[in-house]
Amino acid sequence: MFGLEAIIAHDGLGISVIGISIVFVSLVLLSFAVSQIHKLIELWDKKNTSYQHLKKPQQKDQKTPSVSDLAIPQDVQRASRQFKLLIEWMGEPFPLPKLLDLSEKCGLSRPHSTINELLKCELIIPDENGYFIWNTQVEEKRSST
Amino acid sequence: MSTDIQTLKSLDLFADLNFGELEQIAPLMHLMKVAEGEVLTRKGEPACTFFIILSGNFMLSFNEERSFTLHNKGNIIGLSTVVIPFRYTGTAVALTDGLVLLMQGQEFLRLIQSNSALGDKIMRKINKIVSERMPYMTGAWGKGGINCLALKQ
Repeated sequence: MFGLEAIIAHDGLGISVIGISIVFVSLVLLSFAVSQIHKLIELWDKKNTSYQHLKKPQQKDQKTPSVSDLAIPQDVQRASRQFKLLIEWMGEPFPLPKLLDLSEKCGLSRPHSTINELLKCELIIPDENGYFIWNTQVEEKRSST
Repeated sequence: MSTDIQTLKSLDLFADLNFGELEQIAPLMHLMKVAEGEVLTRKGEPACTFFIILSGNFMLSFNEERSFTLHNKGNIIGLSTVVIPFRYTGTAVALTDGLVLLMQGQEFLRLIQSNSALGDKIMRKINKIVSERMPYMTGAWGKGGINCLALKQ
């Protein structure tokens, strides 16, 4: 027995149909899995941020750090002492460009960005006339915490 | 590198402009990185360039060392490019690294003069900013300067 007869006699057609089906289903499943990979990657990317989001409220419960601690980086806290001395020497209200100029002459490191940090922390605040003053309230709050 | 329309639309100065007007402006605006301590404008020099802040923090100082700081996207430096006598009235220094959009003053002026509708929309906004900053230039002080506004925006 040869050829088609032999195939039919040994259920060759059925086996080949099953084989084709298995391969086809596998390919469909594989393509579906591949199509979902981007979601997995997204989840992986977001994993850290979501974890931090979940973690934050817990940390707040454990300890409630003061606003000034959060707002003022340590290096800026150190620099603020030097800047305060310069401001005391200049007198208040003081012009911001003069503070910048003096701090450069005194060789303070990165005076521009430090002044910006002091402004952001509101340790230096504008008066209503184009000059600036040292905010003792924020400083006192910071030292009391 | 010229700027995309979406970026321009997000800026307060161009918020009222339509798509066609923004298309006219886009090729004239260029992105520039600014380093901490860099001086963008110097008081008294010819006002050649107009800047719009995309990121970073800047200090503008005027006569008698009066100054204010700019911290927000869309804040403007170099208004003198469209205001007679076309000389910078203040010095602008970058307090941090940042990104700005810049436009040559001549091109800006030409654009405003060639399209009256567009010019009107832009000049209204610019006039408002000029009037807020005027006390720093003249020393004639009213209540509530921009030095407060700039930080609270």
